[in-house]
Amino acid sequence: MIPFLTNWFADVPGTAVPYALGALGLIICERSGVLNLTAEGLMLVGALAGVASYLEFGGHSGLSLVIAMISASAVSLLFAGLVVVLRVNQVIAGLSMVFFCQGLTGLLGIITGWQNKRITGLLPMTVWPLSEIPVVGKIFFMQDAVVYLTVVIYIVVNWWLFSTMMGLRIRAVGENPAAADAAGISVSLYRVLAIVIGSSLLGLAGAYISVVSVKLWVSGMTSGRGWIAVALVVFARWAPWPALGGALLFGCIEALIPHIAAAGIRVPQYLVMMTPYLATIAVMIWVGATQSVGTSEPGALGQPHVREERR
Amino acid sequence: MHDVAILKSGASSPKPHRARSRFVLDMRQSLPTWKQALFLGGSLAIGLAISVAILAIAGISPIQLAFELAGVFNATSLRGVLFQAAPMMLVGLAASLAFRLGFWNLGLEGQMLLGGIFAEGVSIYEIGPPQTRLVVMGIAAAIGGSLWCLLGGLLKMRFRVNEIIATLLLNYVAKYFLFHLLYGAWQDPKTAYPQSAPLRPFERLFDLGFGVNGGLLTAIAAVALAGWMVHLSRVGFYMRIISANPSMAKVLGVPIRAITIWIVLISGACAGLAGFVNVASQEGRLTDSYADGYLFSGALIAFLSRNDPLVVAIVGFLVAVLFITGQTLQVFYQIPFTMVQLIEAIIVMSVASSEFFIRHRIRWLRQESA
Repeated sequence: MIPFLTNWFADVPGTAVPYALGALGLIICERSGVLNLTAEGLMLVGALAGVASYLEFGGHSGLSLVIAMISASAVSLLFAGLVVVLRVNQVIAGLSMVFFCQGLTGLLGIITGWQNKRITGLLPMTVWPLSEIPVVGKIFFMQDAVVYLTVVIYIVVNWWLFSTMMGLRIRAVGENPAAADAAGISVSLYRVLAIVIGSSLLGLAGAYISVVSVKLWVSGMTSGRGWIAVALVVFARWAPWPALGGALLFGCIEALIPHIAAAGIRVPQYLVMMTPYLATIAVMIWVGATQSVGTSEPGALGQPHVREERR
Repeated sequence: MHDVAILKSGASSPKPHRARSRFVLDMRQSLPTWKQALFLGGSLAIGLAISVAILAIAGISPIQLAFELAGVFNATSLRGVLFQAAPMMLVGLAASLAFRLGFWNLGLEGQMLLGGIFAEGVSIYEIGPPQTRLVVMGIAAAIGGSLWCLLGGLLKMRFRVNEIIATLLLNYVAKYFLFHLLYGAWQDPKTAYPQSAPLRPFERLFDLGFGVNGGLLTAIAAVALAGWMVHLSRVGFYMRIISANPSMAKVLGVPIRAITIWIVLISGACAGLAGFVNVASQEGRLTDSYADGYLFSGALIAFLSRNDPLVVAIVGFLVAVLFITGQTLQVFYQIPFTMVQLIEAIIVMSVASSEFFIRHRIRWLRQESA
């Protein structure tokens, strides 16, 4: 039982990272009042860009993760143009971004030949001598660098969003754009900023899946993780630390799937693969049953701001 | 309170706006129809131009593209388009009815899968005599789709789960359920592929002539019924009140709950029928991919037709042309089928952007600085 639990929990950080980074990126964006449904698409962009730059630039994992972040940010400028400049309905813009990215990455992956090319990717590191501790060592000190980086990113973003002027302005723009505008804060500028920075984390989340976990690019490989991240943001009530907790919960569920089969327990494979989606729905039911409507979401979530518009 | 104090404190707050020239947005009260059409047509043209440019980069010159598009309208391809138009119109209908009420039904693919599975189930367990088998399969498909959609609807109404997330996640659940069947009990023992045994001849929608089959007739009947419901019936009138002002609808005593459940059921039934049509006409068996690409196609059709069922028929036909062209490009030029999704997304983005110019006027405000 102990080896089973150790192996299972050792896989949890790796499966939790995409959810954690994705949800954090979405929180940054949605705190500025932009409802962001693009996660699934931008994670795909990051995943493809990660593998592509790994293949093209001589296999530097760190470099490919950075390029993936930049690529996702660049593509998110299109979303920013649609919802911030042109005030397109944010649900419609977000959905079309997802399918835009699915189409674009699917097309690029085939015509460039990046699809189905196995890469070495980023390997786990061993924090010696801590990694020699019996159970704890394998779970906490034999992970890849991004796992530790994720914790750092969480601390930095939490500080940036809640203890700096810029973070305050982003939240002000999301709570009450009219008041923020009157106080001299450029609503458009801060919303674009939040979208671009948030999207870079979505790109990193996607690249983690392709460069670190799967070590391969296949069209549509994020398989709904972006949507689970969107749900996770609601579950976390737009706060970073609960999102990390939620990500670990989903990491536990997803990491359990391969270990069930490995332990020789016979269950229908495809029914087990439903569990992350069913668990998300279950969590959303719990949120709906315990939270009163609209208490925790940013005040202006989903509303475009036009200064000249009378309300 | 603390936050507000920081916002107002002098040193770190941004500089106040000086009098300077800038762009301002005027809200337009109204715009002549021809101008609206001009903006819409202009942005659609830009979107299509971008799509053609992307195809050119992918290796299809505009001349080849024009050739392939023209090829769609010869007799054999037109039959394919008419075959394809039926599921398109049905998913477009499913999306437009739900969107009209403000219910973001993004579970179209899952509902199609359930429709196909229910129809296949009728065939496998041989329910009903051969003469009425197709009808029973169609009804079962409609029930399957509407039950799957109702699940999303109940999650929203009973537990306040956002229906965008709920219906989307249910797509994945449906997909894995399909895999469970196709890699398990329902797999055709004669093949290694994830597909069921072929349907019997009397369980297939055959061509009645000129590419018209039972699926297309069903779709046209559904469009006509939905048009009547939306434009003439009491349900349509209630739907307009609910989408215009939900709290007003409540005060007026409109049965919001009943109408929502009804529309959710109808929407799911349309998507389920679309799944049945694909299984029973194009594929002839349950495969692992008969619903792929229909979710965004349905949303696109609903968006372009402004949720009007009668326009859905026309737009559905055009999207069917796009689908068939996409399949041609895939077969002859190795362009992946996701290209179709890319073009669809570009079209939605460009048309959605045109609304900004229809609703606002951008004006350059000149101000002399003091």
